[in-house]
Amino acid sequence: MKKFFALLLVLALCSCAFADGEKLKDTDQLKTERLAAQRGTVGQLIAEDLLGDKKAELLTTYEKYVDAVAALRQGKIRAVIMDEMPAKRFVNEVDGLAIMEKPLTEESYAIGFKKGNTELVSQVNKILSEMKADGTLAAIMAKYIDGDYSSVKPADIDFNKGAKGGKLYVGTEAGFAPYELKIGNGFIGIDVEMCAHIAKKLGKELAIINMNFDSLPTAVSTGKVDMICAGITVTDERKENMDFSDNYVTGAKQVALIRADDYEK
Amino acid sequence: MLWIVGAFLLYLLWESGFFTAEAWSDFNRRFYQNFVKDDRYMMLVDGLNSTLFMTAGATVIGVVVGLILSVIRVAYKGGVHIPILNKFAEMYITVLRGTPAMVQLLIWNFTIFASARDLNTQYIAILAFGLNSGAYVAEIFRGGIESIDPGQMEAARSLGLTYGSSMRHVILPQALRNVVPMLFNEFIALLKETSIAGYIGIDDLTRAGQNIQALTLEHSQPLVMVAIIYLIMVMVLSKLVKKLEQWLSRGRR
Repeated sequence: MKKFFALLLVLALCSCAFADGEKLKDTDQLKTERLAAQRGTVGQLIAEDLLGDKKAELLTTYEKYVDAVAALRQGKIRAVIMDEMPAKRFVNEVDGLAIMEKPLTEESYAIGFKKGNTELVSQVNKILSEMKADGTLAAIMAKYIDGDYSSVKPADIDFNKGAKGGKLYVGTEAGFAPYELKIGNGFIGIDVEMCAHIAKKLGKELAIINMNFDSLPTAVSTGKVDMICAGITVTDERKENMDFSDNYVTGAKQVALIRADDYEK
Repeated sequence: MLWIVGAFLLYLLWESGFFTAEAWSDFNRRFYQNFVKDDRYMMLVDGLNSTLFMTAGATVIGVVVGLILSVIRVAYKGGVHIPILNKFAEMYITVLRGTPAMVQLLIWNFTIFASARDLNTQYIAILAFGLNSGAYVAEIFRGGIESIDPGQMEAARSLGLTYGSSMRHVILPQALRNVVPMLFNEFIALLKETSIAGYIGIDDLTRAGQNIQALTLEHSQPLVMVAIIYLIMVMVLSKLVKKLEQWLSRGRR
């Protein structure tokens, strides 16, 4: 038994010593590297495309971004495929990380609905186009993307409490700043403020239901929530299973988050 | 053996600069970020509340369901003619013990209670955990009752007691003594099992730690803190079980 553990220890030490050869220069190199993504996100789809038939061997999916980034820092994986905005936050707040300059894809975000819920989709689309036209949406984006949103408090967002029209249930995964983030008992973020505005226009109170990202499609198709809003990328595959609103973000880059010392620009 | 491992770990920590002043100030800074700033520890306190609430609720449901099921099964074996109820109890125990608690939780939330939106999700979790626990508790009770020598029942019946009152006055008091420690262990397991409640969107203790992770982007500290809180609760409960066991076996040699 002791010998077994000793062997295990030696193997573990060896694997530390012989990690990684060549540094990463180009995103093409990622095709043969160990990658990670948050489960159910478009990052996972992109990683699967990159790796092809090697995905079973090389792709690890995690429930939370924090887990994926921890694995990255420990050298268990070579890159995390994720949205640029949250990736930037990791680079700013965690030591030793970098984003590969060349983005993998550019995506659009939209709100997801149960397949066939056309009434709500058209109502939300109307409100979204109004928000785009009168600058409300741009103002919300500017608050988070250009400025420092650490001063935004959940209490500042008007959830339209006690509205006569009932509640608008919105599913999200609040670990995706600046789009949604849980602070104390409340939520902040671009999606949250946008949904608060939509709920108000619908005469409803906003109820945020915080769940895992890969549970969101189930939640909206079973009717647990009215819509899901979590920086959700529109893909053809997803369109088969749910309806989407018009895009509210376009050109959202998907990038590879890697270790800074592993990057050769 | 243990102290060699301990010494080796200490050496590794020392080597990696764990005991330097910088490491400590870094530790303190991260500790402040994770738990002190903006009263973030309150997220853990709220999570703990939720965990305890779910455990307590599920415990109550578990005991009631378990008791009913075990009574059905034991009574059927003892000659009371309730074949349909007994079959139901058997199936219940097979299904709920034969599937993972997490799968059950997801089915309760997304399939059975799909349209219940105004209902507090915690109640769904309590129901799911409680009914799951009930299946285990039933087997614990049944084992406890069957551990009593059948001679006891025969003696009671021959003294003219009915089946029901020999159960109540002779068998159950003795069975209880064997059952209570196992029952408490089941609830300690339940306390830890509620950590999967995050999957249906409940901010329990584990999920609260993950929420702090998402806020501060720091991985280890919130999780270790959550682990310590669970460990303290389990240790306190285990101590209580020990005490209870001693109290129950008083007068026994």
